[in-house]
Amino acid sequence: MRRRERVMKAMVSLWTGIVAIIWIVPVVWAFFTSFKTETEIKTKGFGFLPKEWTFENYINILGNTDNAPIIRWFGNSMVISVTVTVLAVILVSLTAYGYSRLDFKYRDTLFYMLMGISLFPNIINIIPLYQMMTWLKWVNTNMAMIVPGLGAVTNIFLVRQFSLSIPREFDEAAKIDGAGEFAVFFRIILPMLKPVLTVVALFSFTGSWNDFLWPTIVFNDVEKMPLTAGLKLLNGAYGGFQLGPILAAACIAIFPTFVLYLFAQKYFLQSMSLSSGIKG
Amino acid sequence: MVTDNKKSGRRSGKARGRLLPLVFIGPHLILFSVFVLFPILYGLVISFTKWDLIGTPEWVGLANYKEILFNMESTYHKDFVAGLKNTVMFVALNVPVSILVPLGFALLLHIKAKGSKVFQSVYYLPTLFSISAVGIMWMQMLNKRFGLVSIFGIKKALTITNPWMWIMLIIMSVWWTMGTNMVIYQAALGGVSKDLYESAALDGASGFQKIRYIALPSIRFQLLYTLVITVAGSFNVYGQPLMLTQQGTGGAPKITVLIMTITNLAFGSGQSIAGMASAMAVILGVFILVVSLIQFRLTTKED
Repeated sequence: MRRRERVMKAMVSLWTGIVAIIWIVPVVWAFFTSFKTETEIKTKGFGFLPKEWTFENYINILGNTDNAPIIRWFGNSMVISVTVTVLAVILVSLTAYGYSRLDFKYRDTLFYMLMGISLFPNIINIIPLYQMMTWLKWVNTNMAMIVPGLGAVTNIFLVRQFSLSIPREFDEAAKIDGAGEFAVFFRIILPMLKPVLTVVALFSFTGSWNDFLWPTIVFNDVEKMPLTAGLKLLNGAYGGFQLGPILAAACIAIFPTFVLYLFAQKYFLQSMSLSSGIKG
Repeated sequence: MVTDNKKSGRRSGKARGRLLPLVFIGPHLILFSVFVLFPILYGLVISFTKWDLIGTPEWVGLANYKEILFNMESTYHKDFVAGLKNTVMFVALNVPVSILVPLGFALLLHIKAKGSKVFQSVYYLPTLFSISAVGIMWMQMLNKRFGLVSIFGIKKALTITNPWMWIMLIIMSVWWTMGTNMVIYQAALGGVSKDLYESAALDGASGFQKIRYIALPSIRFQLLYTLVITVAGSFNVYGQPLMLTQQGTGGAPKITVLIMTITNLAFGSGQSIAGMASAMAVILGVFILVVSLIQFRLTTKED
């Protein structure tokens, strides 16, 4: 029995390992190929390690400040994603606290109403939102990428669930000691919400960094757009004939979230248990 | 005097107490009303008008809906049906794979064989990338002249010929999105009590029996939840076919889905037909909503 179990575990190990290697092929191939010369890509057939390492694709793509200003796109995306993350964490923690630890009439009814309304699929909102952006003069601006998404309810739901699992005794004890609502929020509850707020921050950043449909609609000025919308243009412009630069651009685009993942893997992979209030 | 003081103190405290929640929920409530609630209502209104995004919308009642759904001669009807066909096709192909593949991974990783932590990280990785980067990688990797497929001697343009483009589209989609469902299943499986497995083992249950009778029933709720989310998400498909099945430089994608039809009508080159596009969006949106609600209904009925 024990031997059979060991053999089975070894086989699972082997199998999942092989699949993992296959799984990562597109990323590894794109990475290596972005360091190959265009001639090597086109004449040497499929392969991984470059015969001759070159930075020409990166120099080429980063030097393009004209129809594909990728450094600008990268900067735009960074400003947008960082701002979204900071604002989302502040707003979500405040709001979730309100819907979980304050007592007011119709609190839960109101919250479920918000949840129900946000069930409406996004596609209905897109055209009216675009119109609102023209009213606000936010077309082709970062505001269009930052503000509308802050109305979302999903993250508030996550943090609210987590907050509801924290016993009421904490607040009551602090209030007996004379702490006001804000002191309870800042000193007692906020520190305990840290794991779930980390999850919110990470998903806000990656979600905003990778957002695709909305930026392709609300930006037409090449200088102002974020990276995802830019890459779509780039694919149209270079995609057919120049592979090196476009793969280099894709590698640049995935770099920030990849680095984030290296450092905060635990939060991504355990997001489900962290955000449902199950500790451990 | 003393009692008076107390009373007024309590009263002002109460008034402050009533306003206090607004400090916490107010900012979001405003953002929600302006950027979620209002656009939904406004979108519904627009769908009953003839409008080009610039001028004043002109009320036409149900004309847009009639044209899209029942006027067989209309190009809008034809575009809608073409987009709908591909969208439904995508849902039908993508949903089963996007449930079964991550479930299989989660079950294998649950055994906690050597290396499972590292492999798990690898499987999850693609979900962190944007579809534009993912699309570029896959499109180039599938290039018939110098991509991965060239070593197998495949001379077809895999991203624009049937049935390969569909197969590749689904493989890429699963590769890209699978991680989310996987970690949901993993978390659920982790919550199943070890005693259940042990007593099953004592009764001589095989591995498959443990999966069939213990693991799957225990994560039933998560399976149904991911089903609802995956179905809704698949109806909203847009980026994958747009990036992967592009025909030539700057060409239109070979697989057009409903969201492309809608965005092209509203924001494409040429005159905007935003009213018609809105009507299509409402039809799609309501359809997704109804499908989700039916699924929710079925899931709650079972309990």
